[in-house]
Amino acid sequence: MWWKALSIVLIIYTILAGMLVPLKSGIQRTEPAFAKAGADQTIRFYGYNTFFQKASDTPVRVWLYYDDRHALAASDFQVLNDTILEARFRFPGQLPEKKESVSLNALIDHPVAGAALLPAAVYLSSNPDSTGNTGLDSAWTANPVEQLHVQSGFSFPYQNVIYESIRNTYFHVPMWFVLLFLFTASVWYSIQYLRNPEPENDRRAAAFAETGLLFGALGLPTGMIWAKYTWGQPWSNDIKQLMTAVALLIYLAYFILRRSFDEYEKGARLAAVYNIFSFASLIPLLYIVPRMFASLHPGATGNPAFGSQDLDNTMRAVFYPAIIGWTLFGFWIAQLRIRYQRLYDKALGLD
Amino acid sequence: MKIYHSRIIITFILLLAISLPAVYAEGNRDFMRETGKINVVVAVILLIFLGIVWYLIRLERKLTKLEHQTKDD
Repeated sequence: MWWKALSIVLIIYTILAGMLVPLKSGIQRTEPAFAKAGADQTIRFYGYNTFFQKASDTPVRVWLYYDDRHALAASDFQVLNDTILEARFRFPGQLPEKKESVSLNALIDHPVAGAALLPAAVYLSSNPDSTGNTGLDSAWTANPVEQLHVQSGFSFPYQNVIYESIRNTYFHVPMWFVLLFLFTASVWYSIQYLRNPEPENDRRAAAFAETGLLFGALGLPTGMIWAKYTWGQPWSNDIKQLMTAVALLIYLAYFILRRSFDEYEKGARLAAVYNIFSFASLIPLLYIVPRMFASLHPGATGNPAFGSQDLDNTMRAVFYPAIIGWTLFGFWIAQLRIRYQRLYDKALGLD
Repeated sequence: MKIYHSRIIITFILLLAISLPAVYAEGNRDFMRETGKINVVVAVILLIFLGIVWYLIRLERKLTKLEHQTKDD
């Protein structure tokens, strides 16, 4: 069948593109992360996937910036290697805003690797000794952040803490999409069974629910592995973690219900009704409740989970094929399960 | 008997695959966090693959049983 071949092609594409496409360059940290107004200080920048030594006509530019209008350019800098750069800053005596301290974002613009940003990289505290000059120092506005370069070529966004594990978007997240599609097919055949009680409809409903549960059972631990290395612990009672666990338990009960009747038709009928109720609870558990509370998952507190912050266009070019590929693969496994059950029922004389 | 042997071999391979990261972690305590946490992705892909293989093995064993049953009839 063509769609089985397509599922394999898409999954291979997902694994290759998902693993081989590089991340954009970023700044991991700065040392020291504190500075005092009026000081003359050298700050070391640690880059990720940066090519500071790559030669180019346009120079590398380094800023510590406060907002759109206030940016402090490095007076001088020295490239130690491809990922480490030391920049000198002459901090003005006055902060850009009348405050005890401000947090400055680090920005390095490279003609090849593009612009790399680290929010809240350096805390600049005010200096009571440098009084007198009340006006804003022109150093804050002399070198505005402009004409930034964009990395050419296909690359995934760089995010601190997440780093390369952003690629899990193509493996962990599709599991939940496959689960949703398989459970939708399952409830469809449950409705069909109630309208027309043929064993074939019941077989399909059960097989789709079982393979859907398989993908849920893969989605949960893969999420826990990812959580361990980004949120710090595998299970943090995050609202989405809890709700998916509840949804999987509801579907687990579907199979217990199916097997707890001696009479086949009675069990199949009740299971079909139960399946409709579990599907009706699945949607709020997975897609509505987690958005109403604070969650570590993207998409909490009312935002769509796949806004431009979490998924840019290069990621979409891998993510959507991943969804289609894994879904077709899930239906393939479900089909094998249905075909097995059909043989089994025939052998036992149930059909 | 044959099925019994293949099950031991499969279990052994699964255990090996799962324990491999742990073995590496012994020598380098930040195995999962080094090189930009890429090994987290490797672990996730490995787990998905092993999960699907586990399901297919289960299905195959059911089929073998069914084949034996229908042969007897």
